Amino acid sequence: MQGNHPIGDSRRAKAVRRAAAPLAVTVAAALMLAACGGAKKQSGEAEGGGTLVVDTSFSLKTADPGRTFEPTGILVTRPVYDTLLTFAGGDVTKPVPLLAASYEAAPDAKTFTFPLRPEAKFSDGSPVTAKDVVFSFNRVKNLKGNPAFLLDGVTATAKDEHTVVLTTEAADPALPFRIATPALGVVNSKVVTAHGGTDAAGADQGDKAEQFLNTDSQGSGPYKITKYDVGTEVILTRNDNYWGAKPKYAKVVVRNVPANTQQLNVLSGESQISLDMSPDQAAKVKGQAQVLQQPTPTTAFLFSNDNPATSPITSNKDFQEAVRYGVDYKSLLDVAGAGSAQAAGIVPSFFTGALDPAKAIVRDIPRAKAALARAGLNNPSVDLYYASDVTINGINFGDLGARVQANLKEVGITINLKPAPTQTALDSYRNGTEAMGLWWWQADYPDASDYLAFTPGELVGLRAGWKKDANAEVSALAQQAKVATSDAERVQLYRQLQEAMNKTGPFIPLLQPAQVIAANNSVKNLHYNPIWYIDVDKLG
Amino acid sequence: MNATRLFLGDRLGADRTGTDDPAPRRKRRPGKSPWRSPLAITGIVIIGVFLIAAVLASVISPEDPLAQKWPKYQSPSGEHWFGTDQLGRDILSRVIHGTRISLPLALLLVVLAMVIGTVLGAVAGYFGGWIDMVVMRCADLVLAFPAIILAMAVVAALGPNLTNAVLAVVIVSWPTYARVVRGLVLTLRQSDFVQADRLLGASGWRVLAVDLRPNLAGPVAVLAALDLGNAVLLLSGLSFLGLGAQPPAAEWGAMVNAGSANFDAWWVAVFPGAAILLSVLAFNFLGDTLRDALDPRTARAIRK
Amino acid sequence: MSTSSADPTVDRGTSRPAAPRKGAAAGPRTARGSHPFARFVLVRLSVGLLLCLGITILAFVLTHSVPGDPVAANLGDRAQNDPAAVAAFKKKNGLDESLPSQYGTYLNNLLHGDMGTSQQTHRPVWDDLADRVPASLELALVAIVLALVIGVGLGIVAAVTRNRWPDRIIRVVSLAGVSMPVFWLAQVAFYLFSFKLGWIQAGGRLSPGAIPPQDITGLYTLDSLLTGDLGTFGEAFSRLVLPACVLAAFNIGVLTRFTRAAVLEALGNDYVRAARAKGLPEFTVVRRHVLRPALTSILTVAGLTFGGMLAGTVLVENVLSWPGLGQYAYKSALNLDLPSIMGVCLFVAVVYVVINLLVDLLYGVIDPRIRLS
Repeated sequence: MQGNHPIGDSRRAKAVRRAAAPLAVTVAAALMLAACGGAKKQSGEAEGGGTLVVDTSFSLKTADPGRTFEPTGILVTRPVYDTLLTFAGGDVTKPVPLLAASYEAAPDAKTFTFPLRPEAKFSDGSPVTAKDVVFSFNRVKNLKGNPAFLLDGVTATAKDEHTVVLTTEAADPALPFRIATPALGVVNSKVVTAHGGTDAAGADQGDKAEQFLNTDSQGSGPYKITKYDVGTEVILTRNDNYWGAKPKYAKVVVRNVPANTQQLNVLSGESQISLDMSPDQAAKVKGQAQVLQQPTPTTAFLFSNDNPATSPITSNKDFQEAVRYGVDYKSLLDVAGAGSAQAAGIVPSFFTGALDPAKAIVRDIPRAKAALARAGLNNPSVDLYYASDVTINGINFGDLGARVQANLKEVGITINLKPAPTQTALDSYRNGTEAMGLWWWQADYPDASDYLAFTPGELVGLRAGWKKDANAEVSALAQQAKVATSDAERVQLYRQLQEAMNKTGPFIPLLQPAQVIAANNSVKNLHYNPIWYIDVDKLG
Repeated sequence: MNATRLFLGDRLGADRTGTDDPAPRRKRRPGKSPWRSPLAITGIVIIGVFLIAAVLASVISPEDPLAQKWPKYQSPSGEHWFGTDQLGRDILSRVIHGTRISLPLALLLVVLAMVIGTVLGAVAGYFGGWIDMVVMRCADLVLAFPAIILAMAVVAALGPNLTNAVLAVVIVSWPTYARVVRGLVLTLRQSDFVQADRLLGASGWRVLAVDLRPNLAGPVAVLAALDLGNAVLLLSGLSFLGLGAQPPAAEWGAMVNAGSANFDAWWVAVFPGAAILLSVLAFNFLGDTLRDALDPRTARAIRK
Repeated sequence: MSTSSADPTVDRGTSRPAAPRKGAAAGPRTARGSHPFARFVLVRLSVGLLLCLGITILAFVLTHSVPGDPVAANLGDRAQNDPAAVAAFKKKNGLDESLPSQYGTYLNNLLHGDMGTSQQTHRPVWDDLADRVPASLELALVAIVLALVIGVGLGIVAAVTRNRWPDRIIRVVSLAGVSMPVFWLAQVAFYLFSFKLGWIQAGGRLSPGAIPPQDITGLYTLDSLLTGDLGTFGEAFSRLVLPACVLAAFNIGVLTRFTRAAVLEALGNDYVRAARAKGLPEFTVVRRHVLRPALTSILTVAGLTFGGMLAGTVLVENVLSWPGLGQYAYKSALNLDLPSIMGVCLFVAVVYVVINLLVDLLYGVIDPRIRLS
C-alpha cells in the first residue's frame, strides 16, 4: 500500500465517515437501552402466574401424534391428544380409561371393546366419535412411521358412533398398555382430512397433515399447541372446549434448554420445571426447589455377542459369565448418580413382571476370574462399542464405558473402547457386528412384553448374535409369557424368563438411570410419569 | 473457524510490518535479539515446562491419570490440587498427561499441513496453468467450506478418534500454506536470480528446489509457528465436540467438555482449559518472536 | 514493490482468503476486453458459482461416505425392523434412488428453489435456515461491532505508543485473545456471569414464551427497535451480550493486531511525514492522515472476519445454547441430516463468495491498479 493517492485518500475518508456514523449511534443506543432491558426483566418475572415454563433438552421432530416417537414429542402431545386409555399419575402398571368410559377385554385377549365418553369434544367443539378413533389408528398404521408397530396385528372398527372395537390376530394382553401411549392419541378426523391427512393405505407418502398439526393441533386434550418451534420452544395454550377439568396453567411453555442451564433457570425462577438435570446437579438445588429423583424405564445394558463368527471370545459362555460377575454394578451407580438403580433384569423395576431387586447380580471377582480361567482365555482383549455423543439422564456413555473398562481390567479382561457417533454406532449395533456393546433400551410402552425383543432370534437378541435356537429354555419361556393372559401368570413367567437370561444370556443389564425432575416450590401436585415425564394439566 | 484461517493469513499479510517499527525514524537498539524480549522468554519457559511435563509425565504426575480411585467431583485440595472429575480421577495428573496428546499432535499436524500446503502451493505458483487452477480451486473449496463442519464430516466419515481429527485439521489447514507459498513463488519467479537460472537451463523442479526453497523457508516457518497454537485450538475444539480424543484419554478439550455437565464442579473444566490457553499463548508468543526475528523489514531496521 | 524476495507480504492477497492479486494476475488476460471491470466482475461471479457447485458436490460426497445410515438416524428400533417402514422412509426422502440420481434430483430441486426437507425438523430446509440465520447474523453483527470498537481502539493505541508499555500490554492482550479456546471461554463466562453472579440470563434469544417482535429483519434487537418495543429490545440485547462478547474475543485479538500494523504502515508514509513537517498536531495527523486510510483496509478485514464468524459460531452457539446456524449445523451433522447439511454448506459458501466478491470490488474501486493492471 505504498504510494497512496491523496485524492483517493479523501474519497475514502468520506466513505468511512458515512459508515462509521450510524455504527456509533447504534452502539450508543444499544448501551443505553441495555439498562431498560434489565428493568423489564424483573417486572416480567413477577407476572408468572398463568404460565408454566418447562425446560428440557429437546428431542423433538414432530408434534403429529401419528408420527410422534421422541421424548419431547411425547411430552407435548400427551396433554393435547387424549388417548382411549391412560395411566394415572406415575402408576404404569394399570391402564385407566380416558376417552373410553371403560374397557373390556375378551378372555382370549383378542377382542377389546371401548365405549367412548359421550361428553368428549375436540378443541373445535365437535364430539369425539368412534370414527375419529378408527381414523387415528389407521392413520398411525399407514403412516408406517415409528409408532406404527404399536398397532401391529390390530384392527380397529367402529361398532357404533360411540363404541370402538379392537381385534388382534393373536392373544395380545399388552394391548391396553400400548393404547395408553400418546402416539395413539385421537385426532379430529374431519379437520385433519381437510388439511391433507389420510388414513388410507399409502398414507406414508400421501398424508400431508404433519405441518398443519404441528402448528394447529386437533386433539381433545386439555391443551392446544399454539406455537411449535422445533429448535426452541413449544407453547401449549389451555383448550377452552376441554370436556374434563380445566388445567390450572393457561399457558405451558416447553423450552429447549441444555441441562446445565436448567439448573440455573429453576433456581432463578425463570422456569418452573426442569426435566434433564443430572443427579449431581439435583444435589445442588435440593432445599431450594422440589426434586423428584427415581429410576427411569430405560435400561442400560452390556452385551457380549453370542455369535462365534463375530467374536470367538465374547460368544464363550464362560467369558460372558466373567463379564457378568466382573462388572461392579455399585460403582456404575456412582457414575449414574443418586436415584439410579441397578437393573436386576432387563425389565424396568416398576413394570409388571420386573425381577425382584434381591435377584440382581452382585459382583463376584473370584467367580469372574474362575469363569475366565475356565474359558481358557488368557488376558482377553475385546472391543466395546458405544454411541459417543449420547448422554442419557446425565450419564455420558463414554464415562460409563470407561468405568466398565476399569471394572473389567480388575478381573483380567482388557476392554478397548470403540466410540462412534450414534448414527454410525447404531449401524453396527443393528447389524449385530459388535463384539461387545454398551447400549440402552427405552420402553416403548410400559409392559414387560416390550422386552421380549431381547430373547433369542428377536430384534435386540439378534444384535447380540443371539440366534433363534440358541437357548431353548429362554425361547420357550418367552413364548409362554407372550400369550399368558392372567396377571399372576405373566408376572411369574416374565420373572422366570429374566432369571434364565441372567444365567446364560449374552445380555448384562446394568442400570436404570435416574430421572431428575426439579420444580420450583410454587408447583404443586408434581409426580413423575415414566412415559411422558409429567402431567402438565394436573399440576396445581 | 474461518476466522482462524483468516487470522493466520492476516498475521503474515497484514501484520507484515511486524511488531517492530516499520517507520525508519524509530530504531530498535541494535544488537538486541527479539529472543531476549520478555514475551519470548515467557513463551520459551511455558513451552519448556510443558515439554518437560510431557516427557516426565509418568514421573511427575502424582497419580495414574486413568485410575478411578477417588470419590467423584472432589474440589481442589492438598490431596488433589486440581480436584477430581466425574469418574473420580485426579485432574492434575490428567492435565499433565494431556501434554503428551496435545503437543506432539499439534506439531505433527502443523508439519503435515505445512509440507502438503507448501508443495502444492509452490507447484501451483511455479508451473501455473491447469495445475495452478486445480490446486487453487481445491484450496478455495476447502476455504469456502465451513471448517468445523468439514472437519466434523471428515471425522464422522472416518470414525471419531485422534488420528482422524488430526487428518481433518490437516485437510482444513493446508490451503493457508498453499496460498501464501503460491503468492511468494509468483513473485519470486519474476526475480532476477530465478530468471538467470532458467536462462542457464535449469529445470522447473530444480528452480523450485534450489532457488525458491530457501526463500520460502522463512515465511513458511513463521506461518507454521503461528499455526501451532491454532492447531492446538482446533484439535481440542474437535475433542470438545466429542470428535477427537475419546474416553478415557486425558485430552484437554475432552476434559473441558466433561466439565460442562456439572458447573458446580468448575475445576473439572477450568484447569484443562487453562492448560490449552497457556500452551497456545506460549506458541503464539514464540511465533510472534520468530516472525520478528525473520521479518526482513525488521532485519533492515536493525541494520540501519 | 519490496526488494526483499523473502518478504512474506509481497502477495497482498495472502492477507485475505480471496486474493485481489489473483484478480490482478488474471488482469492481463481479462483486460483485453473493452470493459475490463465488467469482465472482472463476470469472471469472479462465475468462479463463485462454480465454487458453490463444487461445495454441493463435496458436501454430498462427504455426507454419503459417512458409514452411518439416515434410516438409523430417523427410525426407532421397532420401525427399523419393519421393512415397510424403512421402504416408506427411503421413498419419502428419495434415498431409494442411486447416488448420482439423488444428486441430480437435489440440484434440480435447488434450481426450483427447493432445498429439500430436513429429516430432523420435518420442515423445509429453507424455513429452518430462515429461522436460524438471523439469530447467528444478529450474534455475529454485535460481535463484529464489539470487536471493531475494541480492536481498532486498542490497535491505534498500540500503534501510536509502539514499543512502549501500552503497546506491550496490548500485544499480550491481543495474543491472549487469539489464543483463547472459545468453547472454554464460553463455559467460564457462563459459569461466572450467569451461574455465580446471576447477571445474565442465558439460553435462547428471548425469555420463555415471550413473543418475538414483528419479523422485519429477523434480528430481534433491530426489529424491536424498529417497532419501538424497548422492553423486548432490552431483553433481546441482554441475552445477546454474553455470546457476542465470547465470539468477539478472538476477533478483538485479530483486529487489534491488524489495526496496529495498518496504522504503523500508514504512519510511515511520506504524506504523514509531510503533515508532521507542516507542524500539524500529532492528534490531527493520526486522525486525518493515518486513521482514514487505515480504516478502509480494517473495514475490509472486518467484513471477511464477519463472514468467517457466521460459520464459526458452532462452538459458541452450542455451549451457550444460541439457536443459530452453528447449533443447527452441528445437530444436522450429528443426525446425518443430509438436506440440512447441504443447506448449511451451501449457505456458508454463498456468503463466502459474496463477501469475497464485494471485497474484490471494493479493492477494485479503491485501487484502480488492481482491476487495470
